[in-house]
Amino acid sequence: MSATDWAWLVLAFPLAGSTVIALGFRVLSAKAAGWIGTAAIGLAFASSIGALVMLLDEPTEARQLTDTLYQYASAAGLEIELGILVDPLSVFMCLVVTGVSTLIHLYSVAYMDSDAGYRRFFSYLNFFVFSMLLLVLAGNFVLLIVGWAFVGFASYALISYWYRRNTATTAGMKAFVINVVGDVGLVLAAFFVFRELGTFDLLASFDAASETFTTNEGVVVAICCLMLVGAFAKSAQVPLHTWLPDAMEGPTPVSALIHAATMVTAGVYLIARMFPLFELAPTAADIAAFLGLATLLIASTIALVVTDLKRIIAYSTMSQIGYMVVGVSIGAYVGGLFHLMTHAFFKALLFMAAGSVIAAMANVQNIDRMSGFRRAMPLTSGLLIVGALALAAFPGTSGFFSKDEILAFATDRGGMYLIFTIGGYIGALMTAIYAFRIGFRVVSGEPCEEARELERGHLHHAEPRNPATGEPEDTEVGFPGPEHQIAERRRPMAIAMAILGVGALFGGVLQIPGVTAVLEHFFEGTFEDSPLFHLVPSTAASWFGLAIGAVISVAGIAIAYYCYVVNPGVTGRLLERLPRLHRFFARKWYFDELQDALVHRPAIAIGRFANSVFERVVVDGIVNGAAGAVRGASAVVRGAQSGFVRAYALLLVGGFAALGIYFLVAAS
Amino acid sequence: MLNVLLWMPLAIGILCLVLPHRVAPWVATIGALARLGLAIGLVIGFDLGVSELQHVVDESWIPDLGVRYSLAIDGISVFLVLLTALLWAGVISFSALRGHHEQRGRRRLFYFLLGLGETATLGAFLAQDLLLFVLFFDLMLIPFFFLIGIFGGRDRIAATTKMIVYTLVGSLLMLVGAIATAILVAQDTGELSFSIAELRANLLSTGSQEWIFCFFAAAFLVKMPAFPIHGWMPDAYRAAPLPVLVLLSGVLAKVGAYGFLRIVLPIYPDATVTFQEVVMVIAVASILYGSVMAFTQTNLRLVAGYSSVAQLGFITLGIFSLRSDGADGAVLQMVNHGLVVAAIFLIIALLYERARTEDLTRMGGLATRAPVLAALFLVVTMATLAMPGSANFIGEFYILNGAFQEKIAFAFVAAIGVALAAFYALRLYQRTMHNRLPEGAESREISRRDSLVLTPLVACIVALALWPGLILERGEASVEDKIAAVAEAREPPVAMR
Repeated sequence: MSATDWAWLVLAFPLAGSTVIALGFRVLSAKAAGWIGTAAIGLAFASSIGALVMLLDEPTEARQLTDTLYQYASAAGLEIELGILVDPLSVFMCLVVTGVSTLIHLYSVAYMDSDAGYRRFFSYLNFFVFSMLLLVLAGNFVLLIVGWAFVGFASYALISYWYRRNTATTAGMKAFVINVVGDVGLVLAAFFVFRELGTFDLLASFDAASETFTTNEGVVVAICCLMLVGAFAKSAQVPLHTWLPDAMEGPTPVSALIHAATMVTAGVYLIARMFPLFELAPTAADIAAFLGLATLLIASTIALVVTDLKRIIAYSTMSQIGYMVVGVSIGAYVGGLFHLMTHAFFKALLFMAAGSVIAAMANVQNIDRMSGFRRAMPLTSGLLIVGALALAAFPGTSGFFSKDEILAFATDRGGMYLIFTIGGYIGALMTAIYAFRIGFRVVSGEPCEEARELERGHLHHAEPRNPATGEPEDTEVGFPGPEHQIAERRRPMAIAMAILGVGALFGGVLQIPGVTAVLEHFFEGTFEDSPLFHLVPSTAASWFGLAIGAVISVAGIAIAYYCYVVNPGVTGRLLERLPRLHRFFARKWYFDELQDALVHRPAIAIGRFANSVFERVVVDGIVNGAAGAVRGASAVVRGAQSGFVRAYALLLVGGFAALGIYFLVAAS
Repeated sequence: MLNVLLWMPLAIGILCLVLPHRVAPWVATIGALARLGLAIGLVIGFDLGVSELQHVVDESWIPDLGVRYSLAIDGISVFLVLLTALLWAGVISFSALRGHHEQRGRRRLFYFLLGLGETATLGAFLAQDLLLFVLFFDLMLIPFFFLIGIFGGRDRIAATTKMIVYTLVGSLLMLVGAIATAILVAQDTGELSFSIAELRANLLSTGSQEWIFCFFAAAFLVKMPAFPIHGWMPDAYRAAPLPVLVLLSGVLAKVGAYGFLRIVLPIYPDATVTFQEVVMVIAVASILYGSVMAFTQTNLRLVAGYSSVAQLGFITLGIFSLRSDGADGAVLQMVNHGLVVAAIFLIIALLYERARTEDLTRMGGLATRAPVLAALFLVVTMATLAMPGSANFIGEFYILNGAFQEKIAFAFVAAIGVALAAFYALRLYQRTMHNRLPEGAESREISRRDSLVLTPLVACIVALALWPGLILERGEASVEDKIAAVAEAREPPVAMR
């Protein structure tokens, strides 16, 4: 079997899983649905390995394979086929997506155990993975957009999965609409590509682009900027990020899936995939990098102050995606994608650990209420700390190597790009602080009531309430069921978290400066034409960067230790000292309010105006005016006793008949 | 074959008038399914890649006036004929399966009127003679006037009156335009003919084309309806019985768009070029206005109604991009929109039974006990908002690409409509199916008899999503032929005149 055959299988398994579960929802037992879903993604992972093996058989320069299933919608000069592109980049993405998703499915089998909508959940979950795989394997712009939008739909379905919750449905809608804005950006970019290059095919358009465009030509900058609209909407970068924190309304495994393996990484993938265009439009690439940096810093500040456990991790995702966007935009493709992989490991792990903790807290998500879980939940606590270490880029962990790969590249390019190095290190300090704000709050300190209860062997139970609004939950649909699941008691959850823990700790070995360069060699098949790809910082410079990173990471953890363990009152005093700043961060820099005032309210106001004024006065006015005129005329002609329609019709028929007769006469 | 297809609905409709009450609906259903079979046969037997007319029937009718009874199909009409047969079959069987409660004891009349309406609509799609087209176009009005006037809801008389005033004006304008065209051409050629092919071969002077264009455009735009002459739509949609609304919005609206492709582009090419931007502005205004209105309405029917205004705006935009990709996308989108809007109105009928209201603000939570209904509705919602992966997306993609390559600004503005569609369609779904169930509403699974109609309809939407090329490939040659007619007008050959 060739690499492309394996790639078709990668797509087929999740789609089949989703369909089987959806159609068989009355027949399948809940358990069966969960395991079918997990097996489907597992098989997709195995097929990805198959594709990898076959691809490695090819010589480096021949590692871009395409294959077409059928003509999807080709007519009138547009050629749109159901075709895939298999190259190192897409295979890498398939491996990360399916690998981490398999573990998330495994975790969900136990975590969602008592949820009434178990089958629906797994059907959506499989569809989500299918969409993401379609996105990364697409061989032309149209299929890319299809996968892109399917991801948006799947995220909508899963965010508003507990659809009896008003907050969940609103959040789902927000995510969907912002994502559609991104889709529109991509569609317009595709039209530009078609106009200038005459094709929707990815490889063909890249080839044509280098011959057609000059560097920084207006059109190619426009194309890239439109693509950035798509990338930023999906990857939750400023200013299209507001859906992401609200997306925490979904079940915790969904948060893990959206934030780690799929969806938010799509924007990073897009920029990397479109590198031939972005390298022709350095202005657009710089815009992307600066917005990525802004996101990175803004999100870190918010993560320092919000108190909802899942939302802290959500803002952390935004911030880490910011690093990746900076990376692929400035040309650090290996670094950006490397960070994408390591982040998938440690972020999925963090979400899973958080899910376990939240379950132990009987659905309370406020970290101010949590403390001292180290004895009650040793496994969860340990793996939470592992995840936090990798997030904080603690020396030796996976995040340590991947983050610094990006920053070392920025340093190496020098000049303006040093801003990214400096900004990146500032962000890294904040990252280390908020990572261990979570770590120390949850793990250390006096055990809270729920932790003590668990130590006595009893899992805390409470009346289920919506953590956002406090209203009682609808347990039928709208809450993960009456039972809570923690990793200590459920083997599938523990296995999934342990494997991710290993990845988070040791995933860095793939790319250690001066020692290994596995990813760099692998990606050569995709990026060999890029001059930036061949720009590799010297080993010494990289290690110097790593040393700085190590110091910052340890310093951040030390600050967190001081603030949350040694002297817990210090944050409270800081808060009193700087109330305005705190409020500014805690209200998320007022982006939601801004969006509301600039987009949502004007649109509603226009609609109201159209409905109450325009429709009555203008649209009805046309017919009323006409009717009035006829009524007046008919009153003159034959008195006011007849209905205006009859008079109107008669007048019209008479008038037009006269016109017709005129023409007949004129013709003869 | 076309004769059988065209006159069968009327014949069976008349038969229904004399048959016993209990039998008539089932006879009508069997007839409708037979026509659906015939229409499918037409698609299967369709000769791909040929722009010429197929299955031509051409008889002299009124020789003195040069009117011929000529019918045919081509790549543009073949799927519209299928859509007509499909939706009529759906509506007739939907009504037959549910018995008589919506028909006020006059079910035989109901099925007769439906039959008459189908004959008129098929006639409009099949006619290849200008006057024949106009006659069928006007004939459509009569059964729908009675269907709404007799079987409608509150305020049905006022609503039908308004609808008739609007559409009659358009129809009469069109009649005058048709007669004028034939006579003015006859002045040149010396022979009176209404044949569309003849008229295309002997074009009018630019000045005459322009005013006649306006007459035809008025008739077609009212029928769609397009902004700002959609005033009849809200009242009529509120009053019409839902099965009738399926046909009104799903099929009749398309006749207007179809008329542009069949008649206006080939016969009035110079005027088409002149007024291209005007119509594009109307189209884009319809898209934006329809979308904005759709997300402020609280009545389910009006959400769907205004969304149709927006969708027909897209179709018009595609046709007036005057490029074959835009127009081919418009053909595809006509079928797509017919399918989804039909499904939506049927679903609204089901929602009404469960929530006892058509007011969005008083609905919610209907998905809980109705997973199948929710899933079907979700598929339809996604198709409505032109989710990539649906055939509707491919239709919009072709249309917008046509507009983009022709006049880039229109495509950018129209693209806003795509984002707005996501909002209104999702709002429709969410406010009815999700959140908490209000007092008095009951979540109930779709019944087997209703799913007998709705499931095949959704299956069609899904099948088309997997292969939109089915329609695009068959429409391609005919559409290119129509566009070629306009292209000549844009660059007149130097040698002529």
